[in-house]
Amino acid sequence: MNGPAYNAWRLTALTNLPSYALGLIGLALLAALWLSTRGTVGEPSRGKRALLTTLRALACLLVFALVLEPGLELRAETRVRARIAMLLDTSKSMRFAAQPASSGSAQVSRMDALLRWFAAKQPELRELSSRFQIDLYGFDKEIEPQDAPKLLALNATTGAAHAQQLEQLAAGNATDLLSSLAAAAKSGSGGRPLAGLVIASDGADNASLAEGMNKKAQEQLQQLAAPVFALPIGATAIKDLALERVRVDDFAFVRSPVKIAVRLAARGFAHQMVPLTLKREGQVIAEQRVLIDEKVPFTEAELTFVPDRTGKFAFTVSVPVYDGEAIVENNAKSFVLNVIRDRVRVLQVVGRPSWDERFLRQLLKKDPNVDLISFFILRTPGDDSHSSQDELSLIPFPTNEIFQEQLRTFDLVIFQNFNHRPYRMSQYLDGIASYIREGGAFAMIGGDQSFGAGDYSGSPLEEILPVVLPAPGEPTIDEMPLQLQLGDAGKRHPITELLPGAAQNAALWAGLPKLPGLNTIAGLRANAQVLLQSSDGRPALVVGEAGQGRSMALLTDSSWMWSLVAAGEELGPRAYESFWHAAIRWLVRDPALTPMRLHAERAVYEPGEPIQLDAQVRGSDYGASAGAALSVQLFSGASGASAPFAGPIAGADGNATVQLPALPAGAYRAQVIARGANGQVAGTAEEAFVVAPSGAELEDVSPRPELLEALAKATGGARISESDSLTALPFHDPNRVEVGQRTTRPLWDTWLVLLALCLVVGSEWLLRRRWGYA
Amino acid sequence: MRCKGRSRPLTHWYGARPVNDDSPTPSRRRFLQGVLATALVAALPRRAEAFGEASRLSFALLRHGGRWDVRPEGLPRLSWEISRRTSIDTSPQVRPLGLADPELFHHPFAVLSSDQAVPMPSDAELAGLRRYLSYGGFLFIDDASATPQGPFEQSARALVAAALPGAQLKAIPRDHVLYKSFYLLSEPVGRAAVAPELFGIELGGRLAVVLCGNDLLGALARDPYGSWEFDATPGGEPQREHAIRLGVNLVMYSMCLDYKEDQVHIPFIMKRRRI
Repeated sequence: MNGPAYNAWRLTALTNLPSYALGLIGLALLAALWLSTRGTVGEPSRGKRALLTTLRALACLLVFALVLEPGLELRAETRVRARIAMLLDTSKSMRFAAQPASSGSAQVSRMDALLRWFAAKQPELRELSSRFQIDLYGFDKEIEPQDAPKLLALNATTGAAHAQQLEQLAAGNATDLLSSLAAAAKSGSGGRPLAGLVIASDGADNASLAEGMNKKAQEQLQQLAAPVFALPIGATAIKDLALERVRVDDFAFVRSPVKIAVRLAARGFAHQMVPLTLKREGQVIAEQRVLIDEKVPFTEAELTFVPDRTGKFAFTVSVPVYDGEAIVENNAKSFVLNVIRDRVRVLQVVGRPSWDERFLRQLLKKDPNVDLISFFILRTPGDDSHSSQDELSLIPFPTNEIFQEQLRTFDLVIFQNFNHRPYRMSQYLDGIASYIREGGAFAMIGGDQSFGAGDYSGSPLEEILPVVLPAPGEPTIDEMPLQLQLGDAGKRHPITELLPGAAQNAALWAGLPKLPGLNTIAGLRANAQVLLQSSDGRPALVVGEAGQGRSMALLTDSSWMWSLVAAGEELGPRAYESFWHAAIRWLVRDPALTPMRLHAERAVYEPGEPIQLDAQVRGSDYGASAGAALSVQLFSGASGASAPFAGPIAGADGNATVQLPALPAGAYRAQVIARGANGQVAGTAEEAFVVAPSGAELEDVSPRPELLEALAKATGGARISESDSLTALPFHDPNRVEVGQRTTRPLWDTWLVLLALCLVVGSEWLLRRRWGYA
Repeated sequence: MRCKGRSRPLTHWYGARPVNDDSPTPSRRRFLQGVLATALVAALPRRAEAFGEASRLSFALLRHGGRWDVRPEGLPRLSWEISRRTSIDTSPQVRPLGLADPELFHHPFAVLSSDQAVPMPSDAELAGLRRYLSYGGFLFIDDASATPQGPFEQSARALVAAALPGAQLKAIPRDHVLYKSFYLLSEPVGRAAVAPELFGIELGGRLAVVLCGNDLLGALARDPYGSWEFDATPGGEPQREHAIRLGVNLVMYSMCLDYKEDQVHIPFIMKRRRI
């Protein structure tokens, strides 16, 4: 059996004495040597003196050597190879084409191009591996060791399997070049020194280098203490226009400007203007021309629009797709915006001051959520103010401004005991009716100038009211006092639900002060719901839908009695306040009071992911629509095109789940219509959502060779091309050895050491005696 | 009965008293007044139908332990003037009501008046007044004695302080909406012009109590013969007209609150103020 092959040695001390003991012994020997020299100070012969001193010093050295126990350490040494970390980009951006689409050749993905380069470099890597340890990693936002044979096998496959495996490999949702390089530099096998890093990537960083190189990144790169050699993949595909970032708040206020900040990245484009478009369901709602220039990598732009209605909407910002663009998917971005009211804008038009008007105004003015615009008729043409106009604070009634120019800025219009005829408003009634049908809200409050008494019979406004008015000439006022009670619909309607619990609520309404009379009606509209009525069935409060809008008929001018008079009867004014707050919320379609609801579990879905919407099906009377058949219409946010889908049947509780198929990227609005057994529409609801890849990885997939070059230079490395030889790269090659085995052999415990000591001490003694010293 | 829209007995315009008062003695003068009033009412726009009295403005006159009806003609006349000058639908009937009467809550405009000190009401009455004012009622205090810091004003201040602990009657600034709620006014006058300011208490952002020290209702009162019962001093008939306008503004304010401070009115009012 052969012993180990030692190829190096070194002297060593085998003593177990501590350092301080060795020091004390050394000092003692030096002191003894010094004292001994004092005995020969008188010796005239310098030679004799020197010889004696030398012999004594040798003796001290030999004694000290015996204390140290010197030995020989034999070592079996091997040279340590430095390490090269090779990082291959496996983020999703590597799925995109390496070459422009118009190049004429077959499309090759960046991942494909990377693997081909990796396979082509195998001979050079083998040669390098004789000098260096090569650690192979895939990276996205972090690193993961890769198996070279597997990658080579993948490169050798073809067809659909090849494409599928490439997609599986390039699956990272982010790219963090800096962190990946730092992690690769720190890890590695056996603590080998780092000779350098090779990174092959498209450079589409979306982490700390997303904005480009910076001082902090440079410092971090220098701490790697090894050169980075960067190979840009897809570097030739440099023509691309990308909506890199679209920033907008999650919600906006209706009728208030919404700003959308857009960051446009243009590469390979000459100095030119490009149109930036914002669409809502195919309709262009904002547009701006943006100047792009290849010398300016990023261009900031801002789109502004004013939402005109509340709700959840899907929007798409887009730029055109130009010939030769590397990536077309990043030319559009979609988002969902929830448009809400900051304040409900209410127009209150009053025929004459009254307590009913005063208490309603007081309530609305106190409500911070209401922006109240009032117009009261304080003087009629028949009134004599006994003064000149300049002594009055009256202003002309601006009918044109209110009912033509500003009408659509209001969420709710209230006509309170107001006769339109004296103010020549007939010309505006059509417009008011259209405003309501198109989503507005209207309330008419009774009085001797309202409903039939206000000359509304046969007018366009009558058509949007939930009640039919008496024909001209018929009685318009019923002066018989009444005690209110809830109608059937009122028992579950949010407007009249002042207290939880049906019995308590009914008792509350029945306990309110009597009303002095009602405006008479000739009947109810088809969709009308009587919420309050007299004990003999005369309707007092009726609500209904008019097109997309809502209307309410309160057939009394004495609802104020539910406030002050009720307070006098120890009931408090809460009923009055709760009633009006709920009525306004219902009229303006407060989402919390919408009878039928549709809810997407997320605002953004992945492309290819099934989409599920939860529907709560209620009729306009707020009763569960069990068994209602749902049909779905899906509208594209970009084109406005719609497609129908079959929906489920609502369960006994009125709930249903709508399943939509996987959809391509884009913005969508789903509209669900519920129909009862008779085929009549029981309710509708809408929901908006976006289908888009998650994460930042696909927001800007443009190759960034310049970033890779800057990164490499910061480390003392360089940008390389596919043809550059890896073996010729100037990697660091620090000389470091590794000791495999070692053994020690003592040098002091032989007779030669003892003999040498005896000879030295004996010679010194003989010479000293011979020269006459003691 | 109402001031607008319906024909009504003449006595309700010129000879009306609170409904518990005795009827005035018929005379030829009163008959002529009635004929004139009927003609005037016939000339006003007519409304074919209307709700009952509850929908109209009718004043509540607060009964107290002192002389509470010293200006019985003042409020009906104010009612008539409001009906003639504005679009407000009024009732000439004045309801004399106690502070603790639940009926008071049907009349959001209440008047407290006397020319003597008002005895302090009971706790129940004070609680009723407090509730009335807190939930939207309006109280107009008119000093028929027109004596600043006189017995009535002092007792009325004490009554209000007892009803609304912590609240204090403060001078109402001249730029308050009360001075522009219908007419553009510059000073508060009544039969007299001895108190240069109105005083008020705000509750929940609105004036709930207003005190006038110039006998406003005295300026409006007519005798049974249709003549003004008192001279307006020192300004004479112009002062009386201003007193009537102040009465109209008070009622208009109580019904419209700060309507005339809405943004849309401001440029018009500023322009007319400059004129």
